[in-house]
Amino acid sequence: MSVFSLIIINKAGGLVYQREFQPGLRKLSTNDYLVLAGTFHGVHAITRTITPKLPLTVTAPATTPTTASTPNVTSPSATSTPMPSSAAATSSATAAAAAAAAAAATTTHSFPNPGVPATGLETMETDKFRLTCFQTLTGTKFLLFTDPLMTNIDVIMKKIYELYADFVMKNPFYQLEMPVRCESFDRNLTGWLRGRA
Amino acid sequence: MSSATKASRIGEELWKTRVDKVNAELVTLTYGTIVAQLCQDYDGNYQEVNKQLEKMGYNIGMRLIEDFLAKSNVGRCANFRETADMIAKVGFRIFLNIAPTVTNWTSDNNQFSLVFDENPLADFVELPDDGRAQDELWFSNILCGVLRGALEMVQMQIEAHFVSDVLRGDDTTEMRVSLVRYIEDEMPPDEE
Amino acid sequence: MTQPQPPRHAAMLSISNGGSSLAAAADKQQPPQHLHTQSQSSQGLRVPSNRKTIYDRHLNRSRNAELSRASFAFLFAEMVTYAQRRVTGIQDLEKRLNEQGYPLGLRLLDLLFYRTMSSSTSSSLSSSSTSSSPPNRPLRILPLLHLIHGPLWRLLFNRPADALEHSVSPETPNEYMITDNDPLVNTYISVPKEMNMLNCAAFVAGIIEGVCDGCGFEAKVTAHNQPTEMWPGRTIFLLRFGESVMEREKVLERAGVK
Repeated sequence: MSVFSLIIINKAGGLVYQREFQPGLRKLSTNDYLVLAGTFHGVHAITRTITPKLPLTVTAPATTPTTASTPNVTSPSATSTPMPSSAAATSSATAAAAAAAAAAATTTHSFPNPGVPATGLETMETDKFRLTCFQTLTGTKFLLFTDPLMTNIDVIMKKIYELYADFVMKNPFYQLEMPVRCESFDRNLTGWLRGRA
Repeated sequence: MSSATKASRIGEELWKTRVDKVNAELVTLTYGTIVAQLCQDYDGNYQEVNKQLEKMGYNIGMRLIEDFLAKSNVGRCANFRETADMIAKVGFRIFLNIAPTVTNWTSDNNQFSLVFDENPLADFVELPDDGRAQDELWFSNILCGVLRGALEMVQMQIEAHFVSDVLRGDDTTEMRVSLVRYIEDEMPPDEE
Repeated sequence: MTQPQPPRHAAMLSISNGGSSLAAAADKQQPPQHLHTQSQSSQGLRVPSNRKTIYDRHLNRSRNAELSRASFAFLFAEMVTYAQRRVTGIQDLEKRLNEQGYPLGLRLLDLLFYRTMSSSTSSSLSSSSTSSSPPNRPLRILPLLHLIHGPLWRLLFNRPADALEHSVSPETPNEYMITDNDPLVNTYISVPKEMNMLNCAAFVAGIIEGVCDGCGFEAKVTAHNQPTEMWPGRTIFLLRFGESVMEREKVLERAGVK
């Protein structure tokens, strides 16, 4: 089973990393990768937007901006599946609703986080590949191109995220949101993928 | 099960199974040399040292959050109370092998204290006996910055500061954490 | 030798994380005030009412304690980032990292002596001072190098260093090399291509230098990249002992001191 390639998109929709691991897909030009990243980012945002928001409780909005006070509560807060778990290209609106209900039941004097976006597009499939998107809670997106029959993609994704946390985030020469040029990230990533293939 | 108990279990399990370890003294002494360097660079201006430590922590927090999320695999917290437990029982456990007590909530649930029984960063530390350090320096101030940086990355603007420290002769070490606001426009639509 | 001293000692005095406090904590009979007799304006430090001070805790309590490797990595990375903002070039950056490691070397030396001593003669803990324990203190270069290669590396990195060599060149008999195939401090660091001479293990070189100086062996220690196929992060620590050390070495050799 092949893992073809990986793309990392920063919070603003910029392509910060692109790497091929196994042949199988045709190469794109650098420009096309940039377009792919930006387009996916936009589509992902829209798929989140069309997900219905479920109001929880209505409380008074903040009056003084500097002090901590009641925020506006508008959206469901506990879509607590950070890893893409299903192959469905829908956002987990039902899970969100359930979680929101649970939160509402237990949080009479607490505030759910209104900044939480609903989950967006998670997978896309063609005859030749599957594209899986994992968005971290911080807004970074990992896009993995694999064989469409491949299973356990969440395991791979989780490991990639860990390697990213190790070899990108702990590297003092990496600047946040900038292109990832970390030799040891490349080395460990390819090494690990080769090891499990 | 309360969210604190649940968080404690998660934290302890992660510490046992998922966290790579190093000798504690290496970490403690490295932090000590960082603070000492700042005291030298800022010529004993402890207010400035506090500020720099907070800034360093902020930089760390923005990166450390990814490590926290990657290792813990936890989801979004439902409210600030849950966030507090997550910080105290999972975050501090994973990174410093301690679990400060969450206490002194304000009635609006936007402010709490972390009370530290242990603080590995300050092991072996005695502040300079110059008549000022015990009144001005917050030795572990980097932790305030770490919380601010980490939470900002998950859309929470907070403010954190120490209110007491055993290194200053206080009976407890306590940090006050306040939620300022949830950052909503993670991605403004017209800014593409 | 004389040149780098003032800033270093200033750094050590400003915060007593380890160092003198370590030695004091070893001697529990001694009241803390005794430490401060030299400072003039001293009214003594305030202590918590439960007396939870460093003097009330055993020095070995953190001996086998562990913390997360990530915490070290983040602190170290921030130390590098901070240093980078204040320097002009790679050499300057390495010098600064070296200076940050140096006080650790001095303190770890005390800790190593204290622990090797207290494990052999634990009963004399309260009366003897750490420095008057002859078997532990190296007098010649080789025992010093073994102390670094073995006990120091084990304390810091939980394993000995990978190799210890003496320069083969007759021109440089004062040069020794300690190899670490995969320095812990560099685990997560990728140095950008344009800085490829840089090795952040200069911090560790500083620790070694502190140990050498603390033992009375004046030395310059630098870290160099020596990658191999198998060990891309392989690092050589080059120790250059000063002339006075080499001369003393000859005298001691003639006198039969090992």
